[in-house]
Amino acid sequence: MTTKMNRRGFLATTGAAAGTLGFLGTQAALAQEGGTLRFGLSAYPPSFDIWTSNGTAAGTVKMMCHRGLLSYDKDGVMQGELAQSWEVSEDGSWTFRLRDALWHDGTPVTAEDVAWTVLEAQKSDSAAYLQGQLASITSVETPDAKTVVMKTAEPQAVLPGWFAHYNMCIAKKGSERDSLMGAGPFKLASVDRGVSISVTANPDYYKEGLPRVAGIDAIVYADENLRIAALEAGDVDVVEYVPWQAMAQVGGNDELQLDTTFGPFMYLTFNATKPPFDNPLVRRAIGHAIKREDIAAAAFFERGAPLEHLPIADASEFYNPELANEWSYDPEKAQALLAEAGYPDGFDCTMLSTAQYGMHQSTAEVCQAYLSMIGVNVTLDLPEWSTRVKKGNEGTYDIAVMGTAADNNDPDGLANVVDGSLPNAFVRSYGLDTPEISELFARGRASFDAEERKAIYKELEQVAIETAPIMGLCWREQGYGLAGNVTGFSNMPGQLTFYSGFTLESAMLG
Amino acid sequence: MLRYIAFRTLVALFLVWIVVTIVFLLLHLIPGDPAELLLSSGNVAADPQAVAALRERMGLNAPLWQQYLDHMAGVLSGDLGASFRDGAPVIEQIALRLPRTLEVIVAASLIATGIGVPLGTYAAIRADGRADAAISLFASAALSTPVFVVGSVVILIFAQELRWLPAGGFVPFSEDPLEHLKLLLLPACTVALSLLAVITRMSRASVLEVLQRDYVRTARAKGLPVRAVLRRHVVRNALIPVLTVLGLEMGTLIGGTVLVEFVFNWPGLSGYLVSAVDARDYPEVVGIVMTISVLFVLLNLVVDVLNAALDPRISLVR
Repeated sequence: MTTKMNRRGFLATTGAAAGTLGFLGTQAALAQEGGTLRFGLSAYPPSFDIWTSNGTAAGTVKMMCHRGLLSYDKDGVMQGELAQSWEVSEDGSWTFRLRDALWHDGTPVTAEDVAWTVLEAQKSDSAAYLQGQLASITSVETPDAKTVVMKTAEPQAVLPGWFAHYNMCIAKKGSERDSLMGAGPFKLASVDRGVSISVTANPDYYKEGLPRVAGIDAIVYADENLRIAALEAGDVDVVEYVPWQAMAQVGGNDELQLDTTFGPFMYLTFNATKPPFDNPLVRRAIGHAIKREDIAAAAFFERGAPLEHLPIADASEFYNPELANEWSYDPEKAQALLAEAGYPDGFDCTMLSTAQYGMHQSTAEVCQAYLSMIGVNVTLDLPEWSTRVKKGNEGTYDIAVMGTAADNNDPDGLANVVDGSLPNAFVRSYGLDTPEISELFARGRASFDAEERKAIYKELEQVAIETAPIMGLCWREQGYGLAGNVTGFSNMPGQLTFYSGFTLESAMLG
Repeated sequence: MLRYIAFRTLVALFLVWIVVTIVFLLLHLIPGDPAELLLSSGNVAADPQAVAALRERMGLNAPLWQQYLDHMAGVLSGDLGASFRDGAPVIEQIALRLPRTLEVIVAASLIATGIGVPLGTYAAIRADGRADAAISLFASAALSTPVFVVGSVVILIFAQELRWLPAGGFVPFSEDPLEHLKLLLLPACTVALSLLAVITRMSRASVLEVLQRDYVRTARAKGLPVRAVLRRHVVRNALIPVLTVLGLEMGTLIGGTVLVEFVFNWPGLSGYLVSAVDARDYPEVVGIVMTISVLFVLLNLVVDVLNAALDPRISLVR
């Protein structure tokens, strides 16, 4: 090949390049009509690691490329993915039967891949989100290429829920954890680090006729206002994390659709290693002192609802209406509880929140105002998010504002937030032992009887109401904004909202 | 002269070393653990065991002085390390992102000079007239409006209401040149606005000063038309201080386009720096800050040397 370039050569090359560009341009335009869905992500995923939790944006991208044994349909009902059936035997072991599915590289998904996945993710240093749960799996057997049998130390009724989680997808044996090479509906096409991720439809996907779009361009719009502007300007077809202040604007726009669900929630965590919050009476007093409606109004632009019990949605079969208002706003009761605890004149304390997210800060400010009315003088500590996480993990606070979603709609999904036997972490109260609650969670996991489980979790909620390991504040709406012509994508109900990426396989452009 | 250049270069290298050291120390001083953050994102509790394992892998368990020496050794051999988050080589990422930021700055400078110099000249010719007052008012307003306000307003007008241009984002020039230029236009204009104000004011002052010079009076006296005097004698001479200011402003902008990059989703160097700080990605932060300081120091060095070349007295003073 010659590197010499004269004028004629230059013209010829640029002419050819221009021709190619024109050709590419038409193709791109055609694909647009046939359907490349443009998805506005809220952040660039810090990692594509298949089993660690790296936020909503990472989860959404992983759900394009990966599939687990199970998942949920758009109504929140568990369904088979790589496993077409699953059952528990008398001795409590779970058997999964795999369907015929192919990896992106064309090789078949086998029981051995599943076994390898479990063994890798349960290693103590795997950093897998569900590492703790998986560690209770004592053996994984593969009697044939399409059957997997998992045995656990104690019977685990909630085991299928682990394998329906978007951070517990199945990886091909020996593959790189962050390669995005999976068995999902889309294959990774290109990555522009910090900017966008493009995937194309996987023609060998095991669901007939899916995916419906030819590909997805996931483009990062970190600024929430720009994300909405991009949706309104028609630059993207779907955006995640519609900011609360923009929900009315998106919902009122005839050309757009707003899809929201009550799932994530705001709550308070306590440092129980020192007075006064080592005392459950004080923790309950805090709960009775705060008017939740004002948080919904100030932090969520009326897109929130009071949460005066454990975060179990009223649509759940585990919802206990008689306990739903046990932590209701009642300043007199709050003062009586404080007096009973030995603080009739209140006390001073610091409240940790973050100035990085408006809703965290506003929630803290409303709490501060209401707590001052019962004599509790709160000093706000509002560092940026990273520092807030660190302080939460180390317990350098008295009381802290937190927001999250449970792992799934089963009450066991709340363990991460409430169970004090888990290691200290910023999502839970610091150094707060909950022996009764931990034991009830264990019993709930071991029970396969629906009625019995209901009774167990009711008792658990009663104990929680009395001991206040966390203090519920407010449900918040979680919303996706869609262009008018997008169908098939849905915001999954309740706590499953962050699983919505699974429905991208059926998304279609009008 | 050569001695002078050598001396200035040594000072520049020393400055870069100081900056890198300070940044390295500051990063380790502020709270926030990269391992913990990486595993805690998405409101999820990090398992202490996993955090410890990750810290070990990141080399964060070594004593600080050793981390520092390792880092400096890497820098000297041209290796800025790899991102904590996904192991991407920092130097490649910088090479990818720096040109994008420079592109916005250069485009903004072209727009600002192209409009600012004529505007300033016009204001100077009509000094104290109504046009001058209007231009001064515009310059003051442009200078005092924050870029995020300008950015949000232009997005509202041109993307959301008129739908002439995309709201933001980035497409490589090699992929779609037209779309690339469309996406460049709004951020470049936003950066250009405050730059435009500076250049307009500078040109006005400079032209006014030159207009008083004897050679301008002579040119007018020998019967040259006003236009020719302006073009050949006034603007040309007035441009020198304007270009100096422009050069310095461009240097400041290399690290100062954070807000514009954020508002328009332009994946340049400043935005990269912010995300790296957020994640406490030490190798990335140190690498980016070093690049920016090297560029800045280099720019100053060039100015110093140029000044010395123009005016030999400077190198003698030292």
